[in-house]
Amino acid sequence: MSTEREPILELRNINKSYGSVKALTDVSFKAYAGEVIGLVGDNGAGKSSLIKTISGVHNADSGELFVDGIQRHWKSPHDSMAAGIETLYQDSGLAPDLTIGSNIFLGRELTRNGPLGKFGFLDQKSMERQALEELEKVGITVPLSKRTVSQLSGGQRQAVAIGRAAMWAKHVIILDEPTNHLGARQSLEVLKVIRAARDQGLCVLFISHTLPHVLEVTDRIIVMRLGKVVKDSLTSEYTVESLLGTITGLNT
Amino acid sequence: MSTVETPVAPSDDAPPLSQLRRLAAFATSQQAILFLVLVAVMCFFDFQNARFFGTSEFGNLIVDFSTAILIAVAEMYVITSGGIDLSVGSTIAFSGVIGAYAMQFLENHHFGEFGSLLVGTIACAGVGALVGLINALLITKARLVPFVATLVTLSMGEGLALVFSKGGTVGYDPGAAVWSATGFWVFTWLSVIVLVITAISGIVLHFTRYGRYNFAIGSNPFAARAAGINVNLHVASVYVLSGVLAGLNGMIWYFQSSGGAPQNGIGLELEAIAAVVIGGVSLTGGVGRFSGIILGVAILTVVHDGLTFINVATTWNEVVVAAFIALAAVLQSLGSGARKRT
Repeated sequence: MSTEREPILELRNINKSYGSVKALTDVSFKAYAGEVIGLVGDNGAGKSSLIKTISGVHNADSGELFVDGIQRHWKSPHDSMAAGIETLYQDSGLAPDLTIGSNIFLGRELTRNGPLGKFGFLDQKSMERQALEELEKVGITVPLSKRTVSQLSGGQRQAVAIGRAAMWAKHVIILDEPTNHLGARQSLEVLKVIRAARDQGLCVLFISHTLPHVLEVTDRIIVMRLGKVVKDSLTSEYTVESLLGTITGLNT
Repeated sequence: MSTVETPVAPSDDAPPLSQLRRLAAFATSQQAILFLVLVAVMCFFDFQNARFFGTSEFGNLIVDFSTAILIAVAEMYVITSGGIDLSVGSTIAFSGVIGAYAMQFLENHHFGEFGSLLVGTIACAGVGALVGLINALLITKARLVPFVATLVTLSMGEGLALVFSKGGTVGYDPGAAVWSATGFWVFTWLSVIVLVITAISGIVLHFTRYGRYNFAIGSNPFAARAAGINVNLHVASVYVLSGVLAGLNGMIWYFQSSGGAPQNGIGLELEAIAAVVIGGVSLTGGVGRFSGIILGVAILTVVHDGLTFINVATTWNEVVVAAFIALAAVLQSLGSGARKRT
């Protein structure tokens, strides 16, 4: 990544403790639009604490966070969403019994024009149509947006969830283990959507334990260990063995 | 691995439905089957006794439907949001008794029939709202599971109805029964009001943002919260709404029984849940069509009334209802097996 470009997301010396447990120590990195960054580390390395800090679930004890060049202080996840950051957590995802279109617009429903809209009447047709258009932009073709999410395969579901994040995010999407529990072919679908989101100019933070996926889809990999960033290099500089070694700390 | 943009979702296992298949899908849909069951049951009773479709019996059906539908609507909202409300039956008793006292008081002070009925209705809805609010607080603040929370208010409502009424009917009011029988054609004014409330509830559930949030929360509360929906506030509002509907149902029982009696509505929460189950609503939340519970209540009403009409001992009522619930539940589990839920 070229250094003269303005980073879309920048962290400077972020610290976070839970009681006496230090979760993050002086975490700093820059992330740019149009790049996929892998965030890897063993359990307890501080990945979750870091995503929660970026997405506004909690605040850092010290340090600075910049989005699009402006320093930010989140009061709630709403603030980070308003600033253009969408987060897809492992346990959140989609509402399986709602249609694809309804899920895409969940919490941001379109209402009808005129007086009916004032009473919260939904414009379902526009939502279904726009959902299809937006999903196509990231390479997802669903046969009918009227289908419920429960009728999709696991890979399709995750693709739709990422498509949803990509549709609403202005700057950054954070994906927490998006290929977990997916088969090989389904994972490929998901990785394809991640690339499409990047090609749209978004910055993607990809958190995963599946190192082959990380090596395949990312441009840069940040390795964390015991709350610190221990390596931040282009993906081409890693192999599975060297990445594993950096994560565990057995070779440095 | 190429980065060429190809469709992510394979369309081979999910082809678009042709018109014919759509028609077939509708014909085998739960609503169509329920409708056929309703027609079949009505025809059965009509063959048994030719007067079943006669206007006066049809009018009775509508009155009985109106007496049963509001708590089924309440249960529909709560169950699709992922909860359950066991307190609706006892709220009928509790709100009816309190409403009856309010009306008695006002009539004794020469408030006029219409004015006191209006205040009585508001009192019933208010008592229901209060019970609903207690449910809401127990569930969203004290973090009780809905089953336990509403079991608490079920017992509370039953107990308080007995305490306040001292076991007897409060405010015996034959005038109310006379008023409630007026109307036009097969409708009483009371049933018209109930049907309007029911229609509005159905429209809100399926066509507005409030209804959408209800299904979303019942389907996956974590996703709903992540999407920025205030899940606790919505859940609380659903229990209050359920209480208000049960309270209004208490007022209808006041009319039916010419007073507020502590045994009114007792156990009817199970009848409401039965109608919801027959209507194809998933007890795990997130799934259900409003037309399903309309048909569910209609089928139960026709079965209850029909058995009485052909002089089958009312003791057989519950057995026949049990058969319907079993049938509906089996159909549902077969259907959901085909839908492959995870």
